[in-house]
Amino acid sequence: MIELKNVTKEFKVGAKDKVVALKDINLHVQKGEIVLLKGPSGSGKSTILSLIAALNKPTIGEVIVDGKRVSKLADNFTSLFRRENIGFIFQRYNLIPSLSAKENVIVPLIPSNPDSNWLEDRLQELFQNFSLESKMEVMVKNLSGGEQQRVAIARALVNNPSIIIADEPTANLDKKLSLEFIEILKKLKNGHNSIIIASHDPLFFDLDFIDRQIDIHNGEIL
Amino acid sequence: MKSKINLFLFDFSVLSIFRRGSKNIFIFFVFTLLIFLLSSVLFISNSIKSELDTTLNALPDITVQRLQAGRAINMPLSRLNKLLAIDGVNAVIPRVWGYYYFANAGANFSVVGIDQFEDQYRDLYTKLCDKFNFDKLKKDSGMLIGSGIDQMLKNNFYQGYFNFVKPDGSLAKVKIDGVFKADTALESNDVIVMPIKKVREIFGMKPDEAVDFVIKVANPSEIPNIARKITEIYPDTRVITKEDLKISYQNLFDYKGGLFLALFVISTFTFFMIIYDKASGVSSDEKREIGILKAVGWTIDDILKEKFYEAFVISFVSFITALCLSMFYVYFLNAPLLRNIFIGYSNLKPAFDLPFSFDFQTFAIIFFLTVPIYIAATIIPSWRVASMDADEVMR
Repeated sequence: MIELKNVTKEFKVGAKDKVVALKDINLHVQKGEIVLLKGPSGSGKSTILSLIAALNKPTIGEVIVDGKRVSKLADNFTSLFRRENIGFIFQRYNLIPSLSAKENVIVPLIPSNPDSNWLEDRLQELFQNFSLESKMEVMVKNLSGGEQQRVAIARALVNNPSIIIADEPTANLDKKLSLEFIEILKKLKNGHNSIIIASHDPLFFDLDFIDRQIDIHNGEIL
Repeated sequence: MKSKINLFLFDFSVLSIFRRGSKNIFIFFVFTLLIFLLSSVLFISNSIKSELDTTLNALPDITVQRLQAGRAINMPLSRLNKLLAIDGVNAVIPRVWGYYYFANAGANFSVVGIDQFEDQYRDLYTKLCDKFNFDKLKKDSGMLIGSGIDQMLKNNFYQGYFNFVKPDGSLAKVKIDGVFKADTALESNDVIVMPIKKVREIFGMKPDEAVDFVIKVANPSEIPNIARKITEIYPDTRVITKEDLKISYQNLFDYKGGLFLALFVISTFTFFMIIYDKASGVSSDEKREIGILKAVGWTIDDILKEKFYEAFVISFVSFITALCLSMFYVYFLNAPLLRNIFIGYSNLKPAFDLPFSFDFQTFAIIFFLTVPIYIAATIIPSWRVASMDADEVMR
């Protein structure tokens, strides 16, 4: 279970142009639940996702995931927490352009020094699922936007995370590719993962497999 | 199969070196050049120092000169017995030698007289000289010359002999019966060895005089006492001990070492400038990559390990390459250009070979002055970036 308790997040704390991204937010996400955070750009959706993934820390309040106060963890432990629990699909994919698709997908597993046979099987499985078998050795900078996004999803799933976070996943995709992504999400729902999506794309608004939609505006949950 | 060593991480590091190819090739080139310079300087310095040590060990225990108004003049042989009578003195050897100015080449030769070419030294001379026939030398009363002089005489059309001009203006023709080998040229390059009688003739010295005396002492710790006794007996003498000579040689070496030190400082300074430049920032691409690695679950330790491998591979390969190049340059090519700073022991430019001298300490100095500093300069800025929130770094 994911819980945000009285979370406020400010950027440039103490400066004149201080930005209050979140104001006293409270949020609960159940295990296996798919939640859509919707709202205009700058409303604070991405900040919530960053806090859940422990990429950032709240200014006030706390973030608890599976009973663990991730907002209080030391830096190295937040990395371990992400490695073991989080699969993050970034808006701009955040792939390493000079690596191949396969190398990008392996990246999250490198520090845990995986068994090479297991890794090979896992890669085959993922690349087959996302119809990327022929692109394994291609540099990601040479892939199309849709392919890059599928590589980013494969990377997010490679460590079997219990929480999948997608930040504006369709922002850089055309409608066809956006629908393809939604199909992938549907499949992931069957995997009993908690999925949190931040998007203002109307394509997500009427999807029946999304359990809950939360409106965010000016850093507040409506 | 799972390996205990994280080969994936090592692979990733090596891959990263190639991914940032042009930048790393530049760093490799500069780093190799600097280590090459540093190590060449130290190798030459070591080589000369080992040669110097050999020379210093062969120095006489005590040298006695006679002074007149502060100027060295010849020493009467009659003083020899009194010196021999001093307790602790094993032997007193009169030396006849001098500098002969060869105007055509504008160079001084160091002419050294020896009693005679004795059979007991046959092997020694044969070992020291090229194309040498001892019996001919003995018969001719000829001379042995340094390789520098040999070359100079050939350039001045002297083949197999040289005409010395005596003080009365007449000529003394002396045959060349041997040339010292090039690898002893640091000491022997401008040296001529010939019978004492010939030297006296050339320098117009009386038969009962020597230039100075060298004294052999049984117990080296007695050298200062014996030196004091000599000045008591002969107040007009200057007594130079082995220690004094060592200091004087050492000063000469240190002067040359100082020039090398200047080179050393310049190359080290350049090295640190480059290191500073590298340490002062991480490129935006690298910064973003560190952010991505953190975001997908790499800890600061993982990132630093990766950066360590990357820096270690670059710096260690540079280090080994530079050492190999440097050894080839110093010991095989004889350090062209750099060696000119060190020569000057003699009045002729010696064509000596730098003797190989392996000194583990030198390797350690070069290693610790370069590789760990480069690694630190790479890791510290990465650590600064990796310590920030991943979200902030990727933004």
